[in-house]
Formats: sequence, C-alpha cells, structure tokens
Amino acid sequence: MSKERLLSVSGLKKYFEISQGMFKPKIVVKAVDDVSFDIYKGETFALVGESGCGKSTTGRTILKLTEPTAGEVLFKEQNIAKLSYETMRKLRSQMQMVFQDPYASLNPKKTIQQILMEPLNVHKKFEPHERLNKIIDILKVVGLSEAHLHRYPHEFSGGQRQRIGIARAVILNPDFIVADEPVSALDVSVQSQVINLMLEIQKKLQLTYLFISHDLSVIQHMTDRVAVMYLGRIVEIANTEELFASPKHPYTQALLSAVPISHPKEKRERIVLEGDVPSPANPPSGCTFHPRCRFASDICKQIAPSAVAFSDTHMATCHLYNLEGEKK
Amino acid sequence: MTNLLEVNNLNICFRNGKSITQPIRNVNFTVRSGEILGIVGESGCGKSVTSLAVMGLLPPKSSEITKGEIIFNEQHIEKMSEKQLQNIRGNEVSMIFQEPMTSLNPVFTIGQQLMEPLKQHKSLTKVQRKERIIEVLKQVGIPRAEQIIDEYPHQLSGGMRQRVMISLALLCEPKLLIADEPTTALDVTIQAQILELLKRIIAETNMSMMLITHDLGVIAEMCHRVVVMYAGSVVEEASVEELFDNPLHPYTKGLLKSLPSQNERKSALYSIAGQVPRPNELGQGCAFANRCEFATERCLTAAPPVFSVAQHKAKCWLLDETVGGVFSE
Repeated sequence: MSKERLLSVSGLKKYFEISQGMFKPKIVVKAVDDVSFDIYKGETFALVGESGCGKSTTGRTILKLTEPTAGEVLFKEQNIAKLSYETMRKLRSQMQMVFQDPYASLNPKKTIQQILMEPLNVHKKFEPHERLNKIIDILKVVGLSEAHLHRYPHEFSGGQRQRIGIARAVILNPDFIVADEPVSALDVSVQSQVINLMLEIQKKLQLTYLFISHDLSVIQHMTDRVAVMYLGRIVEIANTEELFASPKHPYTQALLSAVPISHPKEKRERIVLEGDVPSPANPPSGCTFHPRCRFASDICKQIAPSAVAFSDTHMATCHLYNLEGEKK
Repeated sequence: MTNLLEVNNLNICFRNGKSITQPIRNVNFTVRSGEILGIVGESGCGKSVTSLAVMGLLPPKSSEITKGEIIFNEQHIEKMSEKQLQNIRGNEVSMIFQEPMTSLNPVFTIGQQLMEPLKQHKSLTKVQRKERIIEVLKQVGIPRAEQIIDEYPHQLSGGMRQRVMISLALLCEPKLLIADEPTTALDVTIQAQILELLKRIIAETNMSMMLITHDLGVIAEMCHRVVVMYAGSVVEEASVEELFDNPLHPYTKGLLKSLPSQNERKSALYSIAGQVPRPNELGQGCAFANRCEFATERCLTAAPPVFSVAQHKAKCWLLDETVGGVFSE
C-alpha cells in the first residue's frame, strides 16, 4: 500500500461539560481523551469499541461537526481544528459522512432528487444542467435507478435508504468518508449487500474510509487497520489481521473472545469481563480498564500506561508489557 | 421429552381500517420441556408477533387468530379469557423483552416492580416476598441486591437492567421463558455475560426457553433446536448442528453464507439479492421465490409443503427430488 498520509489526528480531546447548578463545580465528561492516529490514502481504518467509548464522537470531531477541546486534526496537512466555518464548509466536499440510522438521516419531506441535489447546490459542483445526470449516474452506482428519483424516503426499505445515504456522501466525489455504524441497523442479508457496495465504490472512486463499528466480524472482513477504544482512549492499534491473530491488550482479548461463535461445534475459551463500563464522567484512576482486568496489579491502579510498540504497525497501551520489558 | 408448547397451523391477521394483512401464515413448531428453541429470521418475518400470540398479548382490536391453536401444557391459549391468561402470564410463561431501557417503569423502584408478579400469583407475606426478590436478584448476579431494590431503573446500566428483567421473569419459576432479542441492545462483552447467565439458569431449573433473535451467532451459542422464519412462515426446522452443517432451505443457506466470517477477507460477501416481500405482496407461490437462485416455474405457482429428511424439516420444492425428502404434515 502506498503510504501517503491523508489524515492525521494527534492528541485529540473532546470534553463535554455538564452544569450542576450555579455554585456547584461542573462535571467534565472526557468523551475523547488524547487520541492519536494516522489514516493513509486508500485504506479502511476502523474504530471499534463498546457504546459510550467515544468512537462516534471521534468521528464527528474529525469532521468538525463538534469542536474539539484540544488537539490537531490534519487533513491533507491542513489543520482542520483551526479552520473558520466557511473554509471548513468548503473542505467538507472532500470529507463526507454516512450515518448509522438510515431512518433518521434522510429528510422525510424531500424526494430523493432533492436530497441528492442539495450537496451539489451547496458546493456549486458541476453545471446546473449537468447535475441531474450526475444524480442519475450515482443512483446507478449504488444500485438504484432513475425511477426512484421522485420518491420519498419512506417508500424505501432500510437497505435502500442506506444506499441513498451512501449516494449522498459520494456524489461530491470526496476523498474521505466517515462511516458511523453504516450497517448495524440492517438485517444480515441486507447488511452484506451494503458492505459489498461500500467495498465496490471504494475501489471505483478510490475512497478512504474511517469505519466506526462495534461489530467485530464486519471489521475483520472489510478493514485494513483497527484501533480499539475504551473509555475515550485508544488501547490498541494494529493491522486487522495482526489484531485478530494476536490481540495484546487484555480488553481487546476479552472483546474478541466475546463475539458469538459461528458454528455450534466451535469451542472458544471465553474471557467474560466482570461488571460494566465505568462512567466516563468519573473514570477509574491509572489504567481506566483496571477494575475489569484479569491481570490488574498495583501499578495499574496508580499510573496510566504508555504505548508499547510490538512492531511498526502494532501498538498497545498496557503495563503488562512494560513490566515484561523491564524483566528482560 | 414431552411437548410443553405446541403451535399448530397458526394464522394471524391484522386489520388496519379496511385493509387486512396476514403476517403469520401456517406456523407450526413445538417446544419440548427443558430445551432451548431458537427462532431466527429478519425483521418483519413475524417472530415477535408469534411470541406475543403465545403470551396472549396481541392487541385484541386490531388482530385476530384466524386459524390454528396454541397449546401450552395441555391448555388452549387461543381460547382463554383475559382472566385465565393473567393467571398464566408471568407465572407459568414469562417474557424478556428486547429493550431493557423501556420495559421497566421509570417511576417505580426495582423492588416495587419485582413485587408485582409475586403479589399477583403467590400467597407470600411481605417479608417472604422481599426474601424471594433478593434471592432471585442474587441468582442473576446482581451485586448489592439489598440496596438495588430501593433504586430506580435509571440508576442502573443496560446490562444490569437486563438482569433485573430476567429476574422479573424468573420470580414465579415459570415453565417457559420467552426471550425476544434479549441481547440485541447490549454490547458484546455484556451480551456474553447475559448469554452465560441464561444458559446457567436453564440448566439449573429445567425451564424451557424460546429464544427469538436475528443473530445466528447467538443461535449457535445457545440453542438445541432452531426454527427459521421467513415472511411469516416457518421455512426450516432442525437441530442446531444439523442446521449449520447441512441447511436445506435456500434462504437458510444464503443467510449462513452471507455472514462475514464465512467469506474470505475483503472479497465481495455472498448476498441474497432483493428484499423481503411485504405481507400484501405475497402471491400464490413460495414466499422466497423472487429472491431464490434455484426458483422454478412450480415455485411461483404453488406454495411448497413441508418435506422432512429424518428430523430435519424444510418448506422447499427442491427437496422432493434432490434429497429424497418425505412429504410430511
């Protein structure tokens, strides 16, 4: 793979403040806490984690749909975090988003033609008389046809709506797409159709994806690199194959082992995590995973671990490996 | 093993103004005592409507059981009055719903809500009721059970709420537990906890369970036998190993093949073309015919009967010639 860097996130933080009343201190929820990663051109980069771990917030902050609290987002070596509203708006023609819920993300009062015309009007792409043809072209790419132009979203099934959502994202010919759980609201047989479509247009239009999901089997199938998030931090980054073959962080190990088996005869040693994800408003001290970790020791409760590299592409933040390193 | 629940030739109609749709047609299955029966299918295939019918919870004004019978423990559920149903619901048959967030009442404490079925069905004193509630909460792995009973649902996490729902279903020691997508709203690590828990409880109490899900992984993990539903009817029924090793119906084959884990990485996934037909679009023939790659003339004109190969049943015309299936009722 050509290693041209398209997007670079460093030290990204997004804190939400909850007001408790006039004289009480505000509660700070650290939704995204010091997240850094690079995405290279043409690859599919996955963010995986359980609900509330900050993966969606990360995706939205990268597109500046919410303002970051701190940190840098470099898109084509340009710092997005500092851009004005107007320049950012222009740049959005190169970065688009596909949303999770195909039922809520399309305006029910607009026809498909109006929905797909909107981005073209906003960004003044193509000559006005060409735009309709362009819309018909893109509908064909996503497996719909000219006959659907004047219909409303409610006339479509979930899978078709997600196709429209994808068409709306790719019609501006962007370089980068943030796909936030694009298939998790769909049934298995439709899910595979949408995954195929995403793989197909990625090849055709040379897209780079940031793929946010909690479904590990989908991630294993279609992504190149994975970052595992827990409580607003990245605990492990690796190439997809490497991560699934030898997960290093105890949380990743537990997450992978919790995936339901694919055949009744399959026997899997399951690591069942105790308890729930703690509240991000009041995260545990030290390593935030220590209350649920099998290997937790004293140091985990006090000091937050730093990243340990296992290879050029594989990194985990866990004391387990620091200690082993010292022993050696 | 005896049959705890028998659903025979069930047909359900919904009325909406003047139009009538029939989401359930000729559904047959049985739940034996002590087994976990999985019902799998996509959204809109009628799996939840079937489970509501078994509980007698179908809305009486807009729906009707037009044909067929539901026999639970030798009693006809479809003929029961509301009063008789109330004696059974929560007592002999109980249900776990999909959304732990919405199925608990936000204005009552956990203890008050768990008190209800005991007041209704058992003659216990207040102290005994409280003891029983704490015992069941501990059984489902809730820490600090004594304090939890005075807390409200919003104070608990999703996994904890689902545990409370399970304990609510277990209070009166039912013979049949219906779990409608019990883990769909939960994260994978919490899902693993809840599935472990359900498995343990079934093994300990000799209860039967009807597990409704769209997730084939959950089926593989939990069930003894599986019923596959498509567009309101049962298309296949088999033991879980048999179904995964040797699926007979083209729909089941397609579902299994389209799982990402069954395909080579990055390759195009196998997918079933088209969409599930709406109940009013169904014609004379097989409901799956318009998406089936093996469909013939006959599939379009006549609905296939049930063919069985040993213990394995499927509704597909392909089976009479190719596998030597036996026409069965």
